[in-house]
Amino acid sequence: MNKQFASRWLLAALIIAAGILSGQCGGGKKAMPVLHLYTWSDYIKPELVSRFEAANGCRVVIDTFDSNEAMYAKLKAGATGYDVITPTSYMVSLMRGQGMLQPLDPGLLPNRRHVDPEYLAIAIDREMSHSVPYMLTNSGIAYLKSKVRDFAPTWGMFGRADLKGRMVMLNDMRETIGAALKFLGFSLNSTDPAQLAQARDVVLGWKANLAKFENEQYKNGIASGEFLLVHGYSGDILQVQAENGDIAFAMPREGGAISCDDLVIARSAREVRLAHAFINFLHDPAVAAENTGFTQFLCPNRESYPLLDSSIRENPGIFLVPEIKAKCEVLADLGEKNVLYVKVWDEIKNGM
Amino acid sequence: MRRSRFPFIVTGVVLVFFYLPILILVVDSFNASRFGGAWRGFSLKWYARLFHEPAIWEAARNTLFIALLVTFVSLVLGTTSALALHRFANSRLQRGHYTLVYTPLVVPEILMGISMLMAFVAAGVELGMLTIILAHVTFCVSYVALTVLGRLQDFDFTIIEAARDLGASGWTAARRVLLPMLAPGLAAAALIAFTLSVDDFVITFFVAGPGATTLPIRVYSMIKHGATPLINALSTLLLALTFTTVLVSQRLSASGSLKSRTME
Repeated sequence: MNKQFASRWLLAALIIAAGILSGQCGGGKKAMPVLHLYTWSDYIKPELVSRFEAANGCRVVIDTFDSNEAMYAKLKAGATGYDVITPTSYMVSLMRGQGMLQPLDPGLLPNRRHVDPEYLAIAIDREMSHSVPYMLTNSGIAYLKSKVRDFAPTWGMFGRADLKGRMVMLNDMRETIGAALKFLGFSLNSTDPAQLAQARDVVLGWKANLAKFENEQYKNGIASGEFLLVHGYSGDILQVQAENGDIAFAMPREGGAISCDDLVIARSAREVRLAHAFINFLHDPAVAAENTGFTQFLCPNRESYPLLDSSIRENPGIFLVPEIKAKCEVLADLGEKNVLYVKVWDEIKNGM
Repeated sequence: MRRSRFPFIVTGVVLVFFYLPILILVVDSFNASRFGGAWRGFSLKWYARLFHEPAIWEAARNTLFIALLVTFVSLVLGTTSALALHRFANSRLQRGHYTLVYTPLVVPEILMGISMLMAFVAAGVELGMLTIILAHVTFCVSYVALTVLGRLQDFDFTIIEAARDLGASGWTAARRVLLPMLAPGLAAAALIAFTLSVDDFVITFFVAGPGATTLPIRVYSMIKHGATPLINALSTLLLALTFTTVLVSQRLSASGSLKSRTME
């Protein structure tokens, strides 16, 4: 009896496996070129992907990664097969230095003229020789309007003792030390040990008032009112705002960090022409506007701005006023100088 | 003498540690709020949205496909390996074999992932479903082999000899006596292999190729950028599936061993 049982189960399992396998193979139509996109999850509006597929007679396969470093480690070890990737700017410079990216062909990217020149002025790859900016986010301060009295848009808010224990800063050495550097009027890519030492003392002063350094839960914390004031990314805060109308986002007047994920083509890409077409497609103004509305991050495409929803268009946390924008910087890859930050960050974490 | 309350308390605390997080996750999957923390009313909207996320279902399909195939292959390889290990326990060759089978259990996952990726790249194997399956089989075989080996250690081989005496061929004896009696061990090994394959992240991340995103990889990247309640809903469904599988397999193996006992 037992044997029959076992063999029946085995048969069932095999049939299921075979069914799934045939489904897997049946899905791939042979003649169709396939573009492989390696990106963060939920980072492109699905309808736009279908539209691109229909227009170009191809299939787009999306795979996802969860951190720049993990993606880099994987590609560095030799993984291939991805065409278009969306690393953050600092990672783009690292990958470019390692010869992991292809130079872009400007002739295949007519839409690059729509890219916001104001952003390009502060970008790392200004000529767009290897990367085209995809989505921007800036880190600033989110707070509960009804609970925080006399709010002023400055990093100095973290020094307010009356909010003690109800504030959170990012657990990211570049972001948090960068905020202090900005507060002191220095560049957030500073590698001057004296400036970094001053910034360390400022952060240590703030630390006394913070509940913690944290990167993800702060969203839940401010949505539920556990935290009153948090240091966070504009894209994240916008999503929380949709749920709790009491939350406001402000960019400190000293300026802050802007980070950008860029579109790049991997050195080992097979569908180079299609990859260019895809990057070009994403910078079509109408497409860019739709994508911004979906992701809540800002695609720096100047012609798309007038097409955006007024709630995004008029949000000073996304469209920064020019004076503040001028003071914002992109976090650059510091290479060997990075250890200076690691050292200061350790001192902050261990200090009282 | 009064019985000590200590074991009772320890058990309670352990159970709370085990199940409270899962309970919170299940409850939050019905929370209308996207950010958890505060309860904003009962809602099934995350489940509804889950059914409109083709990427998640694609990943789930990949995961299930890989896990089923991995379970089957590693069950065959692991069982044969356990039989060899048991039968020739004292030969030097098998002691070497045992070490090799044992090693994947103690090698850190990240090391295994990177080294396999490098091996695949060096051998020119295209990354994809195949490489994930190969990698999963590599570590699942060890678990299967050791589980089945444990089962073999208190297996009475005189029964096989009796079967042979009664005229069964070696193959018939294996098929009709050995395998049925090993069945509970095989089922346990298969379940272990299946679960390991379904929730492996580190190794899979490195050896996965384009178009072969599995559920754990998808979930990890969603935590960073996507909607966490979707993950809660998905996990609740997975939990329901796992618990049903476990219940069914327990009932199956319970009735199976009962039957074999009455047959004896």
